[in-house]
Amino acid sequence: MTYLIRGKVAIFLKVILLTLLGSVLLLLAQSAVAQREYVIAAFLGFSVLALALTYLTKISIPLKFFIPGILLLAAFVIGPILYTVTMSGFNYKTGNIISKEEAIIQVKIRGVEAAPSGLTYDVKLGKSSGLPAILVSDITNLQYFISTKDNRVSVAPGQVTLNEYGVAITAPNFIALNESEFASADKIYSGTRFTFDDQSFVALEGFEAGIVSQQILEYLPTQDVFKNLIDGGIYRDNGRGNYALENDDTVILEPGWRAPIWFENYSKIVTDPRVREPIIRVFIWTVVFALATVLTTFALGLLLALALNKPIRGRRIYRSVLVLPYAMPSVMSILIWGGMFNTEFGAINTLLGTDIAWFSDPNFARVAVILVNLWLGFPYFYLISSGALQAIPSELLEAAAIDGANPRQIFRKITLPLLLQVLSPLLIASFAFNFNNFNLIYLLTGGGPRNELDGEIAGATDILISYTYKIAFGSGTQDLGLASAISLIIFLLIASISLYGLRKSKVLETFG
Amino acid sequence: MNKKRLGLTGFAAVIALAVSTLVAPASSAATEIVVWADESRGPNLTKVIAAKGDWVSGYTVKVVTFSSFDALKDAFDKATDASGPDIVVGGNDWVPTGAKSGKLAPLALTAAVKARFNPTQFLDLTYKGKLYGVPVDINNVAMIYNTKLVSAAPKTFGDMVSYYKANKASKNLKAGLCVAGGGMSWGAHSVFSALGADAYQFNSRGGVVYGRGFNATTFGKNVRTYLMDGKKSNGFFPATDTGCKDNFLAGTVPFAVIGNWEWKDYVAKGFTMNLMPVPGVTEGAPGKMFGSVSGALLTTFAAKHGVEAGAKSLLTNFFASTDGQVRYQALENRPPAEKGAQADSTVSAGQRGFGSAASLAGIPQIGAFLNSNKGGANYWDSAPAYWTAVLVDGKDAVKEASKLSAIWRANTDGGKGDL
Repeated sequence: MTYLIRGKVAIFLKVILLTLLGSVLLLLAQSAVAQREYVIAAFLGFSVLALALTYLTKISIPLKFFIPGILLLAAFVIGPILYTVTMSGFNYKTGNIISKEEAIIQVKIRGVEAAPSGLTYDVKLGKSSGLPAILVSDITNLQYFISTKDNRVSVAPGQVTLNEYGVAITAPNFIALNESEFASADKIYSGTRFTFDDQSFVALEGFEAGIVSQQILEYLPTQDVFKNLIDGGIYRDNGRGNYALENDDTVILEPGWRAPIWFENYSKIVTDPRVREPIIRVFIWTVVFALATVLTTFALGLLLALALNKPIRGRRIYRSVLVLPYAMPSVMSILIWGGMFNTEFGAINTLLGTDIAWFSDPNFARVAVILVNLWLGFPYFYLISSGALQAIPSELLEAAAIDGANPRQIFRKITLPLLLQVLSPLLIASFAFNFNNFNLIYLLTGGGPRNELDGEIAGATDILISYTYKIAFGSGTQDLGLASAISLIIFLLIASISLYGLRKSKVLETFG
Repeated sequence: MNKKRLGLTGFAAVIALAVSTLVAPASSAATEIVVWADESRGPNLTKVIAAKGDWVSGYTVKVVTFSSFDALKDAFDKATDASGPDIVVGGNDWVPTGAKSGKLAPLALTAAVKARFNPTQFLDLTYKGKLYGVPVDINNVAMIYNTKLVSAAPKTFGDMVSYYKANKASKNLKAGLCVAGGGMSWGAHSVFSALGADAYQFNSRGGVVYGRGFNATTFGKNVRTYLMDGKKSNGFFPATDTGCKDNFLAGTVPFAVIGNWEWKDYVAKGFTMNLMPVPGVTEGAPGKMFGSVSGALLTTFAAKHGVEAGAKSLLTNFFASTDGQVRYQALENRPPAEKGAQADSTVSAGQRGFGSAASLAGIPQIGAFLNSNKGGANYWDSAPAYWTAVLVDGKDAVKEASKLSAIWRANTDGGKGDL
């Protein structure tokens, strides 16, 4: 079997496997290039080189073990973080999604309008003197002409052959395209402006109709401006991803493009009251929610662990039952709880004989969120508390008892400190997890209730991450740049809180 | 050959072999027009287009079906040049965001094609004066009443409330009128309107009246009169749409606002399509219902894929044609938007009933306003909160109505430049 690990056969197998992997990665790179995602394409190309170098040379033995992890970490952790950091410095929202080059093309297309005459014609596609041409029929006035990019030639009614609808299909010096040729001609004919008069041209609207149109906006590349050919208005790059009217910068051309605005998304969080005020409220609730969740789940989990730490009858059954909420998919649990809290037909109001509007009242909604999270979270703390309790040497507890300590003193002075020493990192991790507990909020309350009539933007149970999601992917304007900035702040907050907590609990020093 | 040389040879072989897989695709003209649609429209479009394969000569049409309308919207939001469709069948509220983001392309229709539709339907698909698609089907709601409970159509809103109060106990009614289709904003607009909150107001020339909200005092007082007992809801009109359809079908709600996309469910349960607008507080002044359209929208990807003219031809030859809409709606069962298809003898009673309801008191749902949150909030997102605030939380009906009216005023003021 060693020939599979060393020697020519091993190298041959490696070459085959790496070739397969490299081929897949390079095909992905090719696809990325086609979509102008050059950074992704470069990374994929680099990955192929790195994998081949690592496994086919002796450049570094440890790297043979680390390189898959390093590449995946770079692709799925570092990459998204860098992208988020980058986008937080851009005006990147609905209306400012595409590149500037693309936006210029789109504005030019939208700068074409139907001419005031409103004329539309039936057309036949073909060639005239070897050039793309259309045979145009004015079936009302029985007038016909052949139009190419550069000129227009009238054709007498007697010189054309008409179909059953009165549309000219043949004319002198005009060779009609077969319908089978339409697909190959699509791009050329769609992009051609067929001559009509000095101011306007015929633009194709499908293969059967042409509309007399005119260019309203002209792009002047040397000055990087758009000029309105009717009123002379000049639209300049406003530095924020749009061409704006020179004298009134509130008038902009759409679409815009992603443009760097550096720290504006961050400053908006502080200076714009419509962003700042909801965020402060949401931040406070996020901290309260995460703290309350950690405290309640830990307290209940520990209580149950203490109760079941003693040999009682049916302990195994109790333990199994207590773990059930943890074993059930949380999505299902949350949706079931959502139904149980329903005001009209929910089990909770029925059992209590109340008609509490759980999800309409902000305070009740917050209570419901914490209760559901308690249900979802206590088995975790029950499990780890049980394990930690069993790890505490019984001699310590016995010695304390012999010294005269009562059970409460033993718990307060010995058990709890020892438990906290072990569980502190997990409590901090739980806090960090719940700080970003998107699923619960999204599925249970959707962040609501929200008093839209009073102009509330964030809901009463929205936490930072669900609020950020609404900013990024909500209805109406999607502000991905601002959402990226808030995401980064969340990241920094959690990182800081976690580091502070870990240092406070001296876990890093203990294990460091 | 030593191992080092063998390794280097292997390295060279891997790179060479891997690179050799990158065969440049043969350049050829695209002949496939890709249409994206939701889980309901997609399969029906596939069948209709396949049944008559020559809607656009020289092209094949591929319909890609998504699992839901939301999934379709999500995919379209993320579509790229390579993956995006040439035409997407979507909601009219997609137009402003799609146009702003450069995903939808404008098109100009000939006078002959325009004449096939009610002009107000184009308002739904217009953004900043440009049209981005053709109307495909009408989305509207209408009120249905249970003839097993109510012998004659109510003439006024008060008739319905009186019936409810008189029969609540004896017939075990859970509500008098509820919204089963369209939600508490769009679907409930006919109730808003019947009680005096006409958000969409038009002048005599059919133009939109901007900057004028509804009369909050009149509306709020009507809410107090018809929907409340003191500070509490009288139970006639629930604040949410939860359970409405089931309750109506079970015979515990006599009147319901239903959507045209689900009329077959009611027919299957033995209900006839006795549709009508929600009656107003005075006879002959019913509430106005939305008669918006879904659109087949042209994308900017079509030009990038080299099928722009083909896609435009598909829009006019199939989506906007009598033949296309008759064939399609025979399967889809929504009221067709095209006039010739509406008049076609094959249109079912349900489609005809909703079509009549839409023409009787229908108002367009202008896409340009839908996503406007100018002035701080969005009318469409805020309207459901009115019912909760008043009917559940017991807040003042007039005061809350003033807030809602102000939001609408700000939205239309801000959005008029987008129409």
